[in-house]
Amino acid sequence: MARRTVTQKERTLRTVSPVVAGVLSLIPGLGQIVIGVWERGLIFLGSMASLVGLIIWRVSVIAYRQATWAERIPVAFRRQPLLYVLVIAIIGLWALIILDAVNTARRKKTRETLAYIIIGLVFFLLGWQIVEIDMVKLFTELPDAFPIITKIAWPWPSAFVRDEEIYQGMELLYTDCEDKVIPDPLPVIDGQPYLEVSPRCGVLSGYEVEGTMLTVEGHGFRPGQEVVMWWADPVGKEFRVRYGGEFITVTPDANGDFSAAFPMPNLLIPPSAGEGPHEHKLLARQTTSVGGLKPSEGLLLAIEKMVETIFLGMMATLFGIVFAIPVSFLAAHNLMAGSPLTLAIYYITRFVLNIIRSIEPIIWAIVATLWVGLGPFAGVIALLVHSIAALGKLYSEAIESIDPGPIEAVHATGANWIQTIVYAVVPQVIPPFVSFTIYRWDINVRMSTIIGAVGGGGIGFLLMQWIRLTDYRSAGIAVWFIAITVAILDFVSAKIRERYV
Amino acid sequence: MLIVENLTKIYPDGTKALDNVSFTVEDGEFLIVIGLSGSGKSTLLRCINRLVDPTAGRIVWNGKDVTAAAGQELRLIRREIGMIFQHFNLVRRLSVEKNVLTGRLGYTKPSLALFGRFPPETRDLARQAMARVGIAELAQKRADELSGGQQQRVGIARALMQEPNMILADEPVSALDPVLAHNILQHLERLNQEGMTILCSLHYLDLVQRYASRVIGLREGRVVYRGTREEIRRMTDEEFQNIYGEEAVRIETGRSISGG
Repeated sequence: MARRTVTQKERTLRTVSPVVAGVLSLIPGLGQIVIGVWERGLIFLGSMASLVGLIIWRVSVIAYRQATWAERIPVAFRRQPLLYVLVIAIIGLWALIILDAVNTARRKKTRETLAYIIIGLVFFLLGWQIVEIDMVKLFTELPDAFPIITKIAWPWPSAFVRDEEIYQGMELLYTDCEDKVIPDPLPVIDGQPYLEVSPRCGVLSGYEVEGTMLTVEGHGFRPGQEVVMWWADPVGKEFRVRYGGEFITVTPDANGDFSAAFPMPNLLIPPSAGEGPHEHKLLARQTTSVGGLKPSEGLLLAIEKMVETIFLGMMATLFGIVFAIPVSFLAAHNLMAGSPLTLAIYYITRFVLNIIRSIEPIIWAIVATLWVGLGPFAGVIALLVHSIAALGKLYSEAIESIDPGPIEAVHATGANWIQTIVYAVVPQVIPPFVSFTIYRWDINVRMSTIIGAVGGGGIGFLLMQWIRLTDYRSAGIAVWFIAITVAILDFVSAKIRERYV
Repeated sequence: MLIVENLTKIYPDGTKALDNVSFTVEDGEFLIVIGLSGSGKSTLLRCINRLVDPTAGRIVWNGKDVTAAAGQELRLIRREIGMIFQHFNLVRRLSVEKNVLTGRLGYTKPSLALFGRFPPETRDLARQAMARVGIAELAQKRADELSGGQQQRVGIARALMQEPNMILADEPVSALDPVLAHNILQHLERLNQEGMTILCSLHYLDLVQRYASRVIGLREGRVVYRGTREEIRRMTDEEFQNIYGEEAVRIETGRSISGG
């Protein structure tokens, strides 16, 4: 094979002195083009030009702070030693191309394959650099990512929850209260836990400044059960108190007493809160789960949105069928080749379908949300538009691949055009139509999880929200539901297609 | 009576499939068209019911000008002319009965047929047609479950539904083995004996000699042979080679295979 190609090319070769060919190929490939192996010359020229261009671009990206090339180049090469390899490879390639030109001129065996391999390798290395592949990161960052991945991979502990009963003691504390009268401690009620805190007036922690140290004594708590310290700020927002990065927990002794010491926490009092004193609450809580397991809010929401997603996909598919069928007849060459007018309609339909199809549903979703606002209706529109184009093309190809024999036969019986369609075309296209439609529904449900991310409704919307709120367990539930639904749909659609084809 | 005058067909790609072909078919004839693949046999048959539009020439069928007909007029002519095909051209996924019923579409009210419904008398007619070619018990089978010979009989039953005066058969037995070939041609022969005009293209000379009442030979779109049944039985090697050219040797082999 290779030898035959060489002999074919030798016939058209121009005689050029090897020295001239080599000098010409200082501009890579020019020598080869002059000799007459212009395809190879153009490939060399194109590859070298784009490789050099890409390297210059990478240098300017890596050393973007430097103003001049004299400053940029050393910085870039220091940051990315891979560039040395690339430059050496390109110089080697250049030499190979010159050698190739010389050898071609001398009608000797050339090493063009080696040159092609090097070109391929250099593009691969550049690709590695451009997409910032970092294998080290993959391992060094794993410990941080692992807890999150675990939560997403196994979210079920938070899918079911129990009601909680809170047993708590409370005291009111004040800030901005110097030289001011503060209310008395809360009265002790018999049989209720209570706190004794001193001082009750202090200063909050700030940036690298520890606030007033509080000494807390608790009485009347349930012995042996863990107590967690909560803080409620003047607007009532509750959070667990940390000291040295750890939540503060204590365990009461057999009498139900405990003592703890920690500084006032770090929080912002907005200027709108006005003059002090500002009232805070310190809460010591013992939490007990009571009653049976019940589905969590996240689980219920996920189910609700999953149902919405499935119907979103279904509605988009159903409307898609309705619009795609007539369109597909217009886009079928065998039905439209009859006259120049119908042929023109065919080409226009094809062109429009291709344009629509090449725009991703997520883009259509953005357009649709601008049009009808956030929510599943926008999702339906986005998927519908894409479905019409995709189904229209698939259907029309099914129509094009039908057996023309029955059409001829039905035509020959004296049937009219519409009868021919009903008796010769429709029975032939039903199996592929069913198959493509179910496949499309499958795609639409999968897609609706994505378009939700831009406001198209469905579970994708919820998923993106949970990820942004770093509620990875709930996000995990959504991911699981998507996976399960898609798997079931996949299975069902495969079964139905099996039956119809 | 079918009159074909100076029929010429040139396809858009420049192929001259038919070149000034003229002949007449009397009612009740069994006319067989012979010739190599590509000699214009299929095009000739398809011009007669206008599945292919001729470039020039005239076709007159029972006094009606087929070449000038259009729309409803053309459909009415078509339904008087049945057609069967080399590859049967059945709708493979439909039942035998449905396939046979499609033969009646030219008579059926379009609105009714749209939903796959046919009047009871049409269904009776279909049962009779299927019984005539011996496939009554296959009525509910899917067409693609049938053997080649059975499928071609469905094709004949479909043509019979048109209650035609003439049947065009485009190489009806090329896809079948010799025994089935005889079986199908005997069905056509029986119809011919009942008065039906048959126009059939064939490859195998011995089948031609057995069934034809008259023969025309086509070569490169021109009529190069005309003969009666007696004449074709006495056909000389020269005449044979005139039709089939250098391929003659191969046809001889085919002749001996299908001789059984």
